[in-house]
Amino acid sequence: MRPFAPDAEAVFAELTVRIADTVARLREVQGVAVGCSAKRAVWSCGKTTLYQYLPLAQAPPRAGRRPVLVCFALVNRPYVLDLQPDRSLVRRLLEAGLAVYLIDWGDPDDADRCVDLDDYIERHLGGSVRHILGNHGGEALDVLGVCQGGVLSLCYTALHGKQVANLVTLTTPVDFHTPDNLLSKWVRGLDTELLMRSGNVPGEVLNGLFLSLSPFRLTQHKYVRLLSGNSDQRALEDFVRMERWIFDSPPQAALALAQFVRWFYQENRLARGTLRIGGRRVDLGEIRQPVLNLYALEDHIVPPDAAAAMQRYIGSADYTGCGIDTGHIGMYVSRKAAHEIPARIISWLQERQ
Amino acid sequence: METPFTHAAFKPDAAFTGAAERFFELLKTFGMPGAAAAGADRDWSSLAGPLAGQFEQWLKSSQSAGPWFAAANPAAPGPGAGVGAAQAGSFGPLPLGAGAAPQQDAQRSWDLVARLAQLQGQLASHWGEIANTAARRFVARLGATAGGAPTLDNALKLYELWVNCAEESYAATVRKDDFCRLQAELANTSAALLVEQRRHAETLVRAFGLPSRNEVDALYAQLKDLRRQLAELTDAARAGGSGAQRPAVRPAGKGRRKRPRRPRA
Repeated sequence: MRPFAPDAEAVFAELTVRIADTVARLREVQGVAVGCSAKRAVWSCGKTTLYQYLPLAQAPPRAGRRPVLVCFALVNRPYVLDLQPDRSLVRRLLEAGLAVYLIDWGDPDDADRCVDLDDYIERHLGGSVRHILGNHGGEALDVLGVCQGGVLSLCYTALHGKQVANLVTLTTPVDFHTPDNLLSKWVRGLDTELLMRSGNVPGEVLNGLFLSLSPFRLTQHKYVRLLSGNSDQRALEDFVRMERWIFDSPPQAALALAQFVRWFYQENRLARGTLRIGGRRVDLGEIRQPVLNLYALEDHIVPPDAAAAMQRYIGSADYTGCGIDTGHIGMYVSRKAAHEIPARIISWLQERQ
Repeated sequence: METPFTHAAFKPDAAFTGAAERFFELLKTFGMPGAAAAGADRDWSSLAGPLAGQFEQWLKSSQSAGPWFAAANPAAPGPGAGVGAAQAGSFGPLPLGAGAAPQQDAQRSWDLVARLAQLQGQLASHWGEIANTAARRFVARLGATAGGAPTLDNALKLYELWVNCAEESYAATVRKDDFCRLQAELANTSAALLVEQRRHAETLVRAFGLPSRNEVDALYAQLKDLRRQLAELTDAARAGGSGAQRPAVRPAGKGRRKRPRRPRA
């Protein structure tokens, strides 16, 4: 007896047909569009562009509502939040009548090797905030920080609390030294001075790093699953959109990345209260505005403990933490998340208008 | 062998084909003659060796378990080959590096290359450990999943079990302190080699009177300082209208010039 009969010719024949069929279908949908909501650039600084999403005809922005600024990670493209009409956090926010802005950090090149976290937080994120407030009036806006963008948003909120009315964080690490953080263990011994001197880091390298946290599932298993026969055309299109996003990562400015690795992953300064940005100490205790912290319970990049730790450090009396039963990327695009997360954010914000 | 991140421009059909081919190979291994000897007692131990061998080969060739490690192979860095490795690769055809450098510099480069090779050897032992543990785990758990009707569904179930075992074995190894230290040392050594190659390149560009990377970075730092001063002056001018105090910004060109600070991580 064998685990799988070698003479199972019918199975191998079926497999061959399915492989050929799936390859052909993947090629057909390869050019599938990503990003679905109309937006326009309203401000820029260096390679960073601030976009304003155009209101939906059926849901014009409601008067008196604060605008929402979405601050995504530096290491990925933000269009995952607006991938397709039925998987778009941005679209749901627009449908709720909110004015939505998004920061796209762009592609740093060699001229940006010395762009640092102070630049990103104070000039790029801060400039975006000031531009929006100048445009809309009012003293504060709502910030939605995602993953690494959530970390930047926390820093900004701690330093400029008056400009942020409500803070929503998605898959945002605060304690980088929780025992289950494999990424943190791996980079703990990196020489960040050397890292900085070796120049900008190509996006493919970081992709490889993230994939290597779970290499068999993320580089093999997910493709083989397409052979199960359950993938209709739409599912295949969704799959390709995600693939495109996963493998479309921007390069990282050398100094900012080196600082992020050292200050957050190696020295855990955010949680320890020793982080300084632009000469000022980032004290999470200064965050007194309402905070909604959403994190994934199956996150292999930002372990749930790393994100849930936020509650221990911020000074807000109005904190809502919520673990969602999905993975890191599932938080942005899974069917479950597509309904649950926007609904939670919108109702939470509405209660605090 | 290809993995998705060995491609600069990702093609899902190519990644799928690669994964499907390996699935095909795996099924053949499951049904290989050695396994036939297992008999009715369902002792699949004879499978462990071939499975581990196949798996280890994939780990080594794809280096999927550590993109940073691939930087440790200066002869063939690719876009996914670790921090700085892609840039290091671009130096390949140039008359730079150890061969073109002064004797002492060349020795430093060769030392780094030798160290990388040594670290790669240590890494290979980890791949071997992961492969063997995964294969043993798989064989131990085969139980009822194996020997069923030869259908594609059953094949996929076997595959699912195999992936679970592979991930568990991988996770157990890559969380160990010695693996983490090795990974960091590989990344650091490859970064050091890249910096060394750049240093050689700078010597060459200076010989042609071209600006070097360090000089451009210093100019950028100056520009950044000037921008900052300009912003502060602009703010001060605005605030001046409302009677606020001017910040202590020294007008450009007066007093002792401050050397631009070298950025630090």
